[in-house]
Amino acid sequence: MSEASLTGREVNGGIVKPKRQLAMVFDLNKCLGCHTCAIACKTQWTSREGMEGQWWAVVNTMPGQGTPRGWEQMGGGFDAAGEARPGLIPVREEHGEAWQFNHAQMFFGGEGKHSHLQPVTARERPPAWGPNWDEDQGDGTYPNSWHFYLPRICNHCTHPACLEACPRGAIYKREQDGIVLIDETRCRGYRMCMEACPYKRIYFNHVRQIGQKCIFCFPRVEAGVAPACARQCPGRLRFVGYLDDEAGPIHQLVHRFRVALPLHEEYGTQPNVYYVPPLSPPRIDADGNAIEGSRRIPTEYLRSLFGAGVDEALATLEREMAHRRAGGKSELLDTLIVYRWPEGMFPDFPNGPADVPGGFHAR
Amino acid sequence: MPVDLQRRRFVLAGGAALAGGSLGLSLRQLVWAEAAGADVLPPPGPAPVYQGFEDLYRAQWTWDSVVKSTHIVNCWYQRGCAWDVFVKDGIVWREEQSGVYEPTDPAVPDYNPRGCQKGGCYSQRMYDEGRIRYPIKRVGARGEGRWQRVSWEEGLREVADRIIDALVEDGPGSVVWDGGTASSGGGHGTGVFRGAHVLDTPLLDVNSDVGDHHPGAQATVGKISFSGSMDDFFYSDLILIWGGNPVFTQIPNAHFLNEARYNGAHIVTIAPDYSASAVHADEWIPVSVGTDAALALGMCRIILDEGLEDRAFIAEQTDLPLLVRTDTGLFLRASDLEEGGADDRFHVWDTGSDSLRRCDHRSLVLDRVQPALEGEYTVATPGGEVTVTPVFALLKRHLADYDAARVQAITGVGARTLAALARRIATAKAAAMVTQSNFSKFYHGLEMERCQILLMTLCGQIGRKGSGIVGFPALSIAGHETIAVSDGGFSPQIGALLLQIKNTPRALQWKMAGHTDEMIVYELAREAYRSGAHLPSNLYWYRFGLGSLLGSSARWDPTMQRELDAFLQEAYAKGWQIEPPTSRQRVFLEVGGNILRRTRGYNRLYETFVQELDLLVTLDWRMSNTALHSDYVFPAAGWYEKDDITWATPLAPYAHIVSQAVPPLGESKSDWAFVALLLKTIQQRAIERGIRDFVDRAGKSRRLDEVFDEFGFHGRYDEHSDQQLLTDILEMTTNLGGIGWEELKRKGFARYTGLDISLINTANATDIAPDATITANTWHTEKKLPWPTLTRRIQFYIDHPFFMEQGEQLPTHKDSPAIGGDHPLRMTGGHTRWSIHASWRDHPNLLRLQRGEPTIFINSDDARQRGIADGDLVRVFNDIDSFETRAMILSGLRPGQLMQHHAWEPYQYRDGKSYAAVTASPINPLQLAGGYFHLQPLPLAATPGPSDRDTRVEVERVEGA
Repeated sequence: MSEASLTGREVNGGIVKPKRQLAMVFDLNKCLGCHTCAIACKTQWTSREGMEGQWWAVVNTMPGQGTPRGWEQMGGGFDAAGEARPGLIPVREEHGEAWQFNHAQMFFGGEGKHSHLQPVTARERPPAWGPNWDEDQGDGTYPNSWHFYLPRICNHCTHPACLEACPRGAIYKREQDGIVLIDETRCRGYRMCMEACPYKRIYFNHVRQIGQKCIFCFPRVEAGVAPACARQCPGRLRFVGYLDDEAGPIHQLVHRFRVALPLHEEYGTQPNVYYVPPLSPPRIDADGNAIEGSRRIPTEYLRSLFGAGVDEALATLEREMAHRRAGGKSELLDTLIVYRWPEGMFPDFPNGPADVPGGFHAR
Repeated sequence: MPVDLQRRRFVLAGGAALAGGSLGLSLRQLVWAEAAGADVLPPPGPAPVYQGFEDLYRAQWTWDSVVKSTHIVNCWYQRGCAWDVFVKDGIVWREEQSGVYEPTDPAVPDYNPRGCQKGGCYSQRMYDEGRIRYPIKRVGARGEGRWQRVSWEEGLREVADRIIDALVEDGPGSVVWDGGTASSGGGHGTGVFRGAHVLDTPLLDVNSDVGDHHPGAQATVGKISFSGSMDDFFYSDLILIWGGNPVFTQIPNAHFLNEARYNGAHIVTIAPDYSASAVHADEWIPVSVGTDAALALGMCRIILDEGLEDRAFIAEQTDLPLLVRTDTGLFLRASDLEEGGADDRFHVWDTGSDSLRRCDHRSLVLDRVQPALEGEYTVATPGGEVTVTPVFALLKRHLADYDAARVQAITGVGARTLAALARRIATAKAAAMVTQSNFSKFYHGLEMERCQILLMTLCGQIGRKGSGIVGFPALSIAGHETIAVSDGGFSPQIGALLLQIKNTPRALQWKMAGHTDEMIVYELAREAYRSGAHLPSNLYWYRFGLGSLLGSSARWDPTMQRELDAFLQEAYAKGWQIEPPTSRQRVFLEVGGNILRRTRGYNRLYETFVQELDLLVTLDWRMSNTALHSDYVFPAAGWYEKDDITWATPLAPYAHIVSQAVPPLGESKSDWAFVALLLKTIQQRAIERGIRDFVDRAGKSRRLDEVFDEFGFHGRYDEHSDQQLLTDILEMTTNLGGIGWEELKRKGFARYTGLDISLINTANATDIAPDATITANTWHTEKKLPWPTLTRRIQFYIDHPFFMEQGEQLPTHKDSPAIGGDHPLRMTGGHTRWSIHASWRDHPNLLRLQRGEPTIFINSDDARQRGIADGDLVRVFNDIDSFETRAMILSGLRPGQLMQHHAWEPYQYRDGKSYAAVTASPINPLQLAGGYFHLQPLPLAATPGPSDRDTRVEVERVEGA
């Protein structure tokens, strides 16, 4: 890293790219909405002072308001001409703050029969929003209700709006792997990055007065260990690897099979997290019969998230699955199945943390 | 490689690093790679540059030691995950899945990484505000949370004295334990069982208590604990998720379902709500609440109408060819045909010879017999000629009631969808059913399970690779269980031998009579049950505090011709059910459960049961509602603070351990140590008080001043013996490949190598091979061993008097009674993704990912009609009681359905009243049946369960809230 690094910046109309780019593919057909990713990240990185309300890895029920509330309407990123779009800075209540509870009073302070265990916000109010507030609520009219789960982290974009927006030059993109980091020793908490990030994945630490976000678990990655959210994911849906590794699952799913698509590509930052879009059970008619061949998630909605490529991606998945049911082979489905973990999920990161000496990074 | 050695080598290399700059860094990596073994790859990319801001985060990713562990909590279907626990500066920093399960079958996905978000934050849970750190004694009103800290000695002394008083004055039946759902295979389980055994004090049978007793499976296949492995689903081409929500409750397992789908399986989720498990299905079939039996029977009818049934399978494996007398409706038994004939020998009509044939009760092999499935036949008996007909013919007639139009009217499922699914099941190469323990908790759940089994059986979808149903999945280390009950005068190993010798004559007798090993295990378990080791919980609560609720069945159930109490008295009088103790209840020891949370109608117990106790004592690491209402609370060591081994299920067939990463927090102690110290204190106080004996429940005198000696095998074990006990247990264990405690502790888990003979294991009736998936019940389908039912077959016709009185000889749909009164909404339930029972219900980080407090789910239309907005405080009420909670509006909930996820603690509600306050949970009289070979009480099954699903309620907005 160097202050003068141009990696990730637009220079003369082109984006300066890192030597290699780490990326993830999330297969939404395997996501359980269990939030093990969120908790893995929380116990790994965000339990320190001022970070209690930060969830670098979240899972949103779609359609929904998400985290922070209404993030898709908050602007940021770049327009088609490459100009920065205006944006909003999400506030603590929109992210969902770390409510406090009255365990001590209830359990040991004599309040057990006079009150009940309850959450309270910093303003001493009952909570009105949280990082997973609209879980499973979904949309549609019964029985044609629908929802799915969308896990989100920092996209470690190829052209990070946050990086371009920081007047301190505190945000940089690593040359060796494209991970985007906020240098906390340079950050002065101006929050322009929060305004610029169209995915609203940057939090403000109100105690330390700095911006903080997903670091792609770079200390783990450096030891050959996949990021916590990916390695701890019991649904086995978070593929991790270098985009240029043509044999790896990321390149295969994104470029060869073209079933993995960026989220809101129109935000203009060239995100490096890709999604296999969700299939869905057919709709049901008034007589209680399935309407063969229909999808209950409106394809139009998926297009609004994943772009026009979603039609082809869904058609590919449906075609390959039909082929498999008929007894055929499918390299695509074998890739998504993941017979051997971790090799099939993150071939470049085969280690578990327990394989690494506890002092690997100690100085 | 032991961690400390790795560290030492690393420190050496670190010295070189200081001296050599970047050269030192590469040296360090070299040494690490060498130390960690050849199969660990060096890190990718260039070596990290150690300077600047990034080091702040790198420095956080360091630790001092790693220990293998897991969580001994009953997450049941999904249980068993291997974790690495990382310790830094003497406290647990974090945990992460080990992810080192070896592949079994090379053609299927492996088990890695397992785990879930609850297990992933136990490191926070163990240090949070609710952790109990010291023994405390109640000084305020019960439940108020006013305590005085006491020493272990002080606390145990009073508890021991009260137990002694109770034993001497009211007998051992006045002291009851609840081992709860957190029981382990090592110190916890063995300690509690042995402690209770030595004092002759009973344990609650938690399984039927909570409704995991699968009454329909018990009635149909004569057992409940059978299941295949999760990776066996990879061989299915049709998977029915029906009666469960595995995406919530089998988080570590669920990937196998999604991967099976990619492998070509068609996944159908059947549920009233668009659940998380419907999201990834190929088809979701919404069904009206409580009508699943009708849905299954509708499909059965289509299968028979279209001749899609598997006749060979039916003839060999089921009672459908067995003959029933048309005059009495009873099976034609040998005792009908000849003087002194057995009443458990049955008959078919052989179409080859056109004659009556007696079935072989020792084998399912038909030989050359071709049993008739239809027709009426005349048989001569000493009492004259009788007409008989096969069960299949009766079934066919019975199914005439389940035409598609009627089924649609009941279930809401369209005729086209119904027929398509029936044909899919019948024609699938291997259809499997993911059924969990939801139907057990319906008033007519027995029928729902029976009908599901009938459907799968008609299609021969049982006991083949990739096919079958999941009963109560359970698998445990076997061979050591006798430690809990053997004579303390001998070593545990000799004790086991003595018990074996004692049981041998009877086992031989049963064997001679044609019992399989499986049946012999159940006979022994029934004997133990009759001796009072376990108490059928709902009969216990019926007697001690909840009679007016549990006994109110006739008030709601229009099909009952007499009160439940009449059924109950008959069942007691005939010895069909075990009567709970009559003595006053004086001391209740809660050592792993949470009766004042889980018991339906728990709030009545404050004024009845709890009021009458001398002492309510809880051992726990967290403040449960039972702990909060106790007289004494003792601190249990956390799961990373003790050594123990857990039970498992065939779904993930690995035995996992917990091991001590850090010393117990505060003054907490292991569960084993608690029981040992309690027994030790009882012995000591008996000596000090000069009380030598007490009289046990069989009327025999026992030494009270030697109970600890007996408990500890006369000096072999004391309160510090957790490791010695585990060493002995594993030495006696026969189905784990001979692995010892030390090796197991290093590895964290071991795959099961077989079932051996044990109550829960044997029912799986299958072999376990090291390189294959597990398919349940192949001993019956392939080896042709009889099923452990009265007829030795999968039995759909039950000619028990209670079944006949209720008109339920054959699998039947009955409408749910309006339990709770004439109210429009049906409250259903289920387990959440957010907690295992109440263990994580009050954890701040998990609450922050919910709404921070209890919610109930309501459909958008139902909410709109009642003026309820999302997040409103609402009052849910019926004729029983009411409670207040927050409404959450779900578009995917069925109109008229109200969904209450379980295990919120009552103290999370206003007025301490939870959803369990409105459940009457009446007992279905069929579940009092007994005296019928496979319908006799035994641990886990064949005793009455609860019926809280489909409780009728209404909901209204709380004004001004």
